[in-house]
Amino acid sequence: MINELLLQFAQWLEGQEYSQMLVSGYYSWNWLEATHVLTLMVSIGSLFIIDFRMLGWILPDVPATKIADRLHKPMIIGFVIMFITGILLVYAKPVENVQSLWFRIKMLLLVFAFINAWVFNSRMRAAEGTWDSARVAPKPLRAGAIISLCLWCTVVAMGRFIPYDWVDCPKVSNTAILWAAGCVNELNAL
Amino acid sequence: MVSNILNNYRSVVGLAVVLLVVLLIELFEVRAAIYPVLFPFFEWLKYSSWIGYLGTTYGSVYATVQAGHLISMAVIGGAVLVTDLRLLGVLLKDIPSETITEGTHKCFKYSLIVAIATGIFCAAGVADKVYYMPVFWVKMLALLAGSCFMFFIKQPLLNSRPHEEIEPWTMRLLAVASILVWFTVAATGRWIGFS
Repeated sequence: MINELLLQFAQWLEGQEYSQMLVSGYYSWNWLEATHVLTLMVSIGSLFIIDFRMLGWILPDVPATKIADRLHKPMIIGFVIMFITGILLVYAKPVENVQSLWFRIKMLLLVFAFINAWVFNSRMRAAEGTWDSARVAPKPLRAGAIISLCLWCTVVAMGRFIPYDWVDCPKVSNTAILWAAGCVNELNAL
Repeated sequence: MVSNILNNYRSVVGLAVVLLVVLLIELFEVRAAIYPVLFPFFEWLKYSSWIGYLGTTYGSVYATVQAGHLISMAVIGGAVLVTDLRLLGVLLKDIPSETITEGTHKCFKYSLIVAIATGIFCAAGVADKVYYMPVFWVKMLALLAGSCFMFFIKQPLLNSRPHEEIEPWTMRLLAVASILVWFTVAATGRWIGFS
């Protein structure tokens, strides 16, 4: 049911003039994708610097909350640009994305990454001042940093997998994968 | 006097020599002569080397290494931006720039090693295509320029004395040049995918 609704919504989006314009324009698509990927350097680059500091791998003499505070703004700017370009990329090829297993896993991981970021931030604020000068953050924050690194690395990998066609609907026969990828037509044909 | 100049301005002299060599290579058409000689190497890389075999046979391995390349480039970007925005006085102003430079450089070095290793793998899988792409060669030149700039000019200068003793405009120029060169490396890399 949910797959059918998502597909109908994606087909409606794909029928829109602006969606067609984005995907058919060589430069519009390339600029969007390039901006999306290059902003990784600002968003994930800043985030990883914060995570590395929490783990004590870099800048151990600088208070960790200071690094997190000062890099918060550029990181958020990077993420906002990434989300805007990401939404436009999906808007340009909605049906392809809605029926992509990698895209769905990426979205799920993004939700987990944001929950982790929220928990991490709350824990960091709660513990502020008690460990700031320590070379390594307390265990819960270190765990949060490792989860963050793993989640974001997997998000990037899933994003990279989207253009590949190994599990595109016509190539898959496994019912569970077809359902997970939202391959409505293939499931109905079974 | 010559030895004095060589000792005091080693990086500048080194850079001048590199520029001179590049100029001579262009003037005597060495580049045009070398280019066809490189093709067999690119063919070997794709069709006979094990990395070429892995990259062309297993799409999932290729895509995973590509993701590793992207992540390492993101870390390079993070390290470069944090350092250079600090040198420009935009970020982390209350932390000594010496501390930031030293701390992020380690991160930069390891990420660069990963980026080069994964980049070779990625290029091997499509070696016969990238050979003909001007943007690929621009990226290689930008990478070479960026690495030389980082290891022979920027870091030696920043490590040579306390940063207050360095001319502020020199620091700003270093930071802007560094951001531009690494942005070029990343942007040309992305453009290879579109060509």
